[in-house]
Amino acid sequence: MRTTRFIRKRGRRGAGRNFEIDITSLLDILVILVVFLLKSYNSSGIVMNVPKGVELPMSQSQTLNTSGTIVQVSPTKIWVENKIVVDSEKDRKGTIYSEKGRLITPLFDELVSIKNSITQLEKSTHGAKKFSGKINLIVDKTIKYSYVKKLMYSCAEAGYRTYNFVVLGPE
Amino acid sequence: MYKTPSSRRKKRNDTKLNLAPVLDAIFIFIFFLLMSASFSKIYEIASDVPMVSNSEPPKNHKPLALTIKVYEKGFYVYTGVPSQRIKIIPKQEAKYDTEGLHKFLVEIKKKNTKENSAILEPVIDITYEELVLLMDSVRMLRPTDDDIYGKDKEGIDVRIKELFSEIVFGNIQS
Repeated sequence: MRTTRFIRKRGRRGAGRNFEIDITSLLDILVILVVFLLKSYNSSGIVMNVPKGVELPMSQSQTLNTSGTIVQVSPTKIWVENKIVVDSEKDRKGTIYSEKGRLITPLFDELVSIKNSITQLEKSTHGAKKFSGKINLIVDKTIKYSYVKKLMYSCAEAGYRTYNFVVLGPE
Repeated sequence: MYKTPSSRRKKRNDTKLNLAPVLDAIFIFIFFLLMSASFSKIYEIASDVPMVSNSEPPKNHKPLALTIKVYEKGFYVYTGVPSQRIKIIPKQEAKYDTEGLHKFLVEIKKKNTKENSAILEPVIDITYEELVLLMDSVRMLRPTDDDIYGKDKEGIDVRIKELFSEIVFGNIQS
């Protein structure tokens, strides 16, 4: 009789006891993770992809990035929204420029098509994001002004009214 | 083999979840994240496309029309309509003297507190990095600069925080 009761209760005996896990080290790691996330937090909410081969210049500017069409420029390539539009290693020089060398034609064409698609969407969809006319220029620091001028001219001709030069801020 | 109930109880008490390998893995993962992360912050410098306006400027107000041209020798500063050169800031040790330009622009700002725009015209082929340095020296007031005060709409003195923050490139069509 005594033995059978003991066997019946043996499962319940262990259930009441607290099972403790040492979480000190886990909390240490969580603190490190939170600090890391806070440090790398970007309050503007805009993701800028800086392609390989593009080194941004340093600046004292503290103005947060705003949204707009992204143009990335390396010494040999131009991307519009991460799509290559000019590759000087493949394209022939004569086919890239027009208007006496002031306009970069593939860049202009791509920007116009993006602008048209945004304005078309704006007309057809209620509450769609309006065309801001802003362009974010991610340009390599070694590029000469004569080339930057062509970029700016092409953007202006395509209907973009504000250039946002993307720079590296003070650390 | 038969065990007494007391010996079974003892064994259960010793059971503990071994978290060490999991924590090791998490630590390695965090270390990897920290190593691969770049803590550099990205900002922007805004500039408007130059527009040609047909409207006449107000008769009572003479525009400053601050223009900075970049030549091989240094910075040339122009003001007024038609523009007149007021200062040449030569290169210092083969580098553009952005500090000298900044100090000169602070003095101009003290006399023209309502003006916010400047026209940049690099005549020679400077690099984009030099251009950004030039824009920084034109746009921003530094904590070490003299305090400049202007009047707001209600006539109250307010501290001016920016130098000539509205930058326009005057020669992109050339």
